[in-house]
Amino acid sequence: MADSIYGLMARFDSASEIFHAAEQVRNAGYKHWDCITPFPIHGLDGAMGVRRSHVPKFSLIGGLTGFTTGMSMIWFTGAFDYPLIVGGKPYFSPLFAFPISYELTILFTAFATIGGMFLLNWLPQHYHPVLKSKDITRGLDDTFYVVIEARDPKFDLARAKALLTQAGAKEISELEA
Amino acid sequence: MAHSAHSEHAAPAILAEVNPAPLPRATLVESKRSFNWVTEKICGIIEGPTPRWWWISFAVSCFVASFTVIGIAYLVSTGVGVWGHANPVNWAWDIVNFVFWIGIGHAGTLISAILCLLRQKWRTSINRAAEAMTIFAVVCAAIFPVFHVGRVWFAVLPGYLFPFPNSNAIWPNFRSPLEWDVFAVSTYGTVSVLFWYIGLIPDLAVLRDRFYKAGNKFKSALYGFFAMGWRGSNRHWSNYEMAYLILAGISTPLVLSVHTIVSFDFAVSLIPGWHTTIFPPYFVAGAIFSGFGMVITLMMPLRAIFRLEDLITQYHIDCMCKIILATGTIVGYAYGIEFFIAWYGSNPYEGFAFINRAFGHYAWAYWIMITCNVITPQFFWFKKVRNNIVLVWILSIFVNVGMWFERFVIIVTSLARDYLPSSWGYYSPSAVEIFTFFGTFGVFGVLFLLFIRFLPIMPMAEIKAVMPEADPHSGHGDSKH
Amino acid sequence: MSTHAATISSATVSASAPASSLSGSANKALTLGIIGLVATAAGLAVSGGKAVAFSYLTGIVFWTGIALGALFLVMIHHVFDAGWSTVLRRQFENWLSCMPWLALLFVPLIISAFVAPGMIWKWTDPSYDLAQVGGHGTVAQDVLWVKKSGLLSTTSLVIATFIGFAGWSLLANRFRTHSFTQDTDGDIAHTHASRFWTAVGLPFTALSMTLCVILWVKALDYHWYSTMYGVWFFAGCVRGALSVGMIITVWLWNRGDYKGILNNNHMHSHGMLMFAFTVFWAYITFSQYFLIYMANIPEETFWYSLREINTDGQFNTWGYVGFFLLFGHFVAPFLTLIHYPVKLSKTWMPRIAAFIAFVFLVDVIYNVMPSLKKITGDAYPFTSINLLWIATSVVGVGGVCVWAYLNSFAKTKLIPIRDPRIGESLTHHE
Repeated sequence: MADSIYGLMARFDSASEIFHAAEQVRNAGYKHWDCITPFPIHGLDGAMGVRRSHVPKFSLIGGLTGFTTGMSMIWFTGAFDYPLIVGGKPYFSPLFAFPISYELTILFTAFATIGGMFLLNWLPQHYHPVLKSKDITRGLDDTFYVVIEARDPKFDLARAKALLTQAGAKEISELEA
Repeated sequence: MAHSAHSEHAAPAILAEVNPAPLPRATLVESKRSFNWVTEKICGIIEGPTPRWWWISFAVSCFVASFTVIGIAYLVSTGVGVWGHANPVNWAWDIVNFVFWIGIGHAGTLISAILCLLRQKWRTSINRAAEAMTIFAVVCAAIFPVFHVGRVWFAVLPGYLFPFPNSNAIWPNFRSPLEWDVFAVSTYGTVSVLFWYIGLIPDLAVLRDRFYKAGNKFKSALYGFFAMGWRGSNRHWSNYEMAYLILAGISTPLVLSVHTIVSFDFAVSLIPGWHTTIFPPYFVAGAIFSGFGMVITLMMPLRAIFRLEDLITQYHIDCMCKIILATGTIVGYAYGIEFFIAWYGSNPYEGFAFINRAFGHYAWAYWIMITCNVITPQFFWFKKVRNNIVLVWILSIFVNVGMWFERFVIIVTSLARDYLPSSWGYYSPSAVEIFTFFGTFGVFGVLFLLFIRFLPIMPMAEIKAVMPEADPHSGHGDSKH
Repeated sequence: MSTHAATISSATVSASAPASSLSGSANKALTLGIIGLVATAAGLAVSGGKAVAFSYLTGIVFWTGIALGALFLVMIHHVFDAGWSTVLRRQFENWLSCMPWLALLFVPLIISAFVAPGMIWKWTDPSYDLAQVGGHGTVAQDVLWVKKSGLLSTTSLVIATFIGFAGWSLLANRFRTHSFTQDTDGDIAHTHASRFWTAVGLPFTALSMTLCVILWVKALDYHWYSTMYGVWFFAGCVRGALSVGMIITVWLWNRGDYKGILNNNHMHSHGMLMFAFTVFWAYITFSQYFLIYMANIPEETFWYSLREINTDGQFNTWGYVGFFLLFGHFVAPFLTLIHYPVKLSKTWMPRIAAFIAFVFLVDVIYNVMPSLKKITGDAYPFTSINLLWIATSVVGVGGVCVWAYLNSFAKTKLIPIRDPRIGESLTHHE
């Protein structure tokens, strides 16, 4: 049984090595696996087969909400709840309501984007097997790791190790769950 | 050069003739440093002992900041009359200082957002500090409009600035640009903090792990709390980068809108010299101009103290100088167009307002403004000037001074000489006003010193990402994407 | 570069073949252009000098705007030491060959200021009777003209137009010469020379373009003033040029020239620029409108009122044009260009580009044509026979521009092969 371990963590020393290793792991058909990199590597998403992020959808919803909030707030306060003529302007006009609606669009988009990012990444997550590894310091500094999780249906300790070795791993360690 | 390999069709013959003339790009990290060197360098600043100069600067900044605290306490307890404004100049140093500080903040967002969208990779070395500068500048800016209402509690009571239901059953006036300002500046402050924080997360995780390894459990837990359990997962990076790009995308129109709305404060009015349609882009260009002035003023000493010459290279300084040159020239264009249209519009009041600016009682301020904002940056045409760090630093101070005077000229000259000669006046600041403004530099200094002591002053992950080794195709002929 | 060497033999064939058909297309464009110009001239007999002159002014301002936009984009490329756009820059350099021809095509308008003063720009004739356009007295009696007479005269019109076109043609010539010569000698000095001309050219073009657009367009209604005007025109010009650039790009792609040169990322970056300038245009135009609306001073608002309501309070056709600009020039491009797949689509992008170029034309029409006023002071409606003369002028001037472009295209390399940034441009990623 492989469930006593979380998975395998294999070290690679350069961006180009992990890039090629990721392609091989992807081609081997694994689903639950990841790369640990100190910085986003250009093109690694493609090499891993990660699809384009869904964050923009959150942003769009946030933006639309913000704009609607701004417009309706200004209409409600100025033209509905307490109509008051100021400066010879109409009770409501999208023109003078625009600056504030615009700001609220951006404000709500920002919150939705960040919220969406945290949600999709399932953060904050202060406990994680990878974080327990003694190597994580280097993983955030100058080294690159591929982690294959044991829960992957294709996971087999020996074969995964062989794959990683073949992909050029410098060192392979087992992560405890 | 892999495109030919991927294309189904044969490559056009022209590709065989391609033979670029050599003109190497400047490297962004000099001396061929490693990833680890970057980590050690930047974390080392936080992990090392607190230097003596830091304590001295911190003490001085606290002392200077106390001027603002005392000045404001005196204002709140006595009344807004302790400041120098009186009819007809009811907006004076307070609004000048507000616009000045807000403008300074803009360079931070420009560097982090607009340059990110333009893929100007040189931004990475300076964006963290510049974003911090933005936030602290917004803090300094917000002090002034809030306190110039005098009875400051009105600014925070429900229903006055923000639309909460209140006992008077009235709402803020959404037709007023001042109300737009409330939303613009508070959105700007909030989004800047969020953007800054998102950028910090991977670097905080680095510090978390390093402190853990060094056995400092408390600091590790503290940095770890804010690092949100970041573990460098590429699946996370994918969403993270998208979120970062979107934040950059929305911060760009945000930063433009903030100074645009600040310019609306003036431009929707009928005061001669204020109502002119070029104000929005002109204010934005001016804000970027002053902000870069401040970035240089701050970064040059940091670069020298922390020996960051490999990260903030001559190329970075060149770029910043050129932006100052460009925006300064745009501001010059706006000054020129304003003058021209004041004549062309043939409105006698407009015409007078501009003649008065240049040759009236405040001509000294006008010519300081022209000298600092239009003439000073022209020195940056010359490579010799840009290579002289001390001179660059001195010129950046001129830029800061000039942009303060620009707001002074716009606000005070127009108000002091408006339509009715019987109500003309001459404004001079009071001692309280001067010291309150002086103190905000201390407030800024305190915040900035805390920042450089406790947070990574450069985004490590982003710097690493622009180093040549970060390209997975470096040294390989098999590029594809 | 070794990989390319291996593929030369198979691909050389396609590059030389279209050369003859290209000169054919160039001749067709010129023929079309001449037909357009002749048709415009024939319009003089139908609608009279004034309406046709305004229409022709619209056409020439539109194409001059696009050429200026191309000039700006070339200079912006140099000033940023940009990499990815090197491939695209060559086509803008080709496009710039139309600059002297535009100067030539502008000459009839200048001549009209002498032959029929007051026909286009009222102030070219101080004795012009303003009663014809809903005013009173003559131009010479108009205090606003008297104040501005130092600028608003035939002499300054001629001088400004001459300086403008001479300078732009010189700049166009310099950028073209240096870039094309570099193809053969590979001398880095050409890159430095281009940067020098950029440093000179940017401030010069900014100022001369502002002055020219003020005299040509804004001063059609010389009472009105707005400091934003030059910036508005700049935004429109760059949008026009980017659209033309996109159409050329996809045309070359479909012809097969760009296979192996252009990739998705060029499309994406180009689309991003179009998007950015859409937002910039909206920002400038909104700010100008908004500030005038909020301040509500009659000296300024009349310009927009003319374009919305008649003197009897009736909503007029120009009001719809205004709304069309809001949606067509901002909302529609914004909502389409924001999508990532759209920016990569070689089907959608040329259509969007053509649409943006078309709406830029409508924007120019919106600025020029309402100054053609009835005796009541109202603008002639948007929908009139003048649209035909605008169309013939656009085809006429445009035909000449396309002819000049194709001629230059046939004579130059497809991409600047010795440019120091060409390698970067060919491997543009992200």
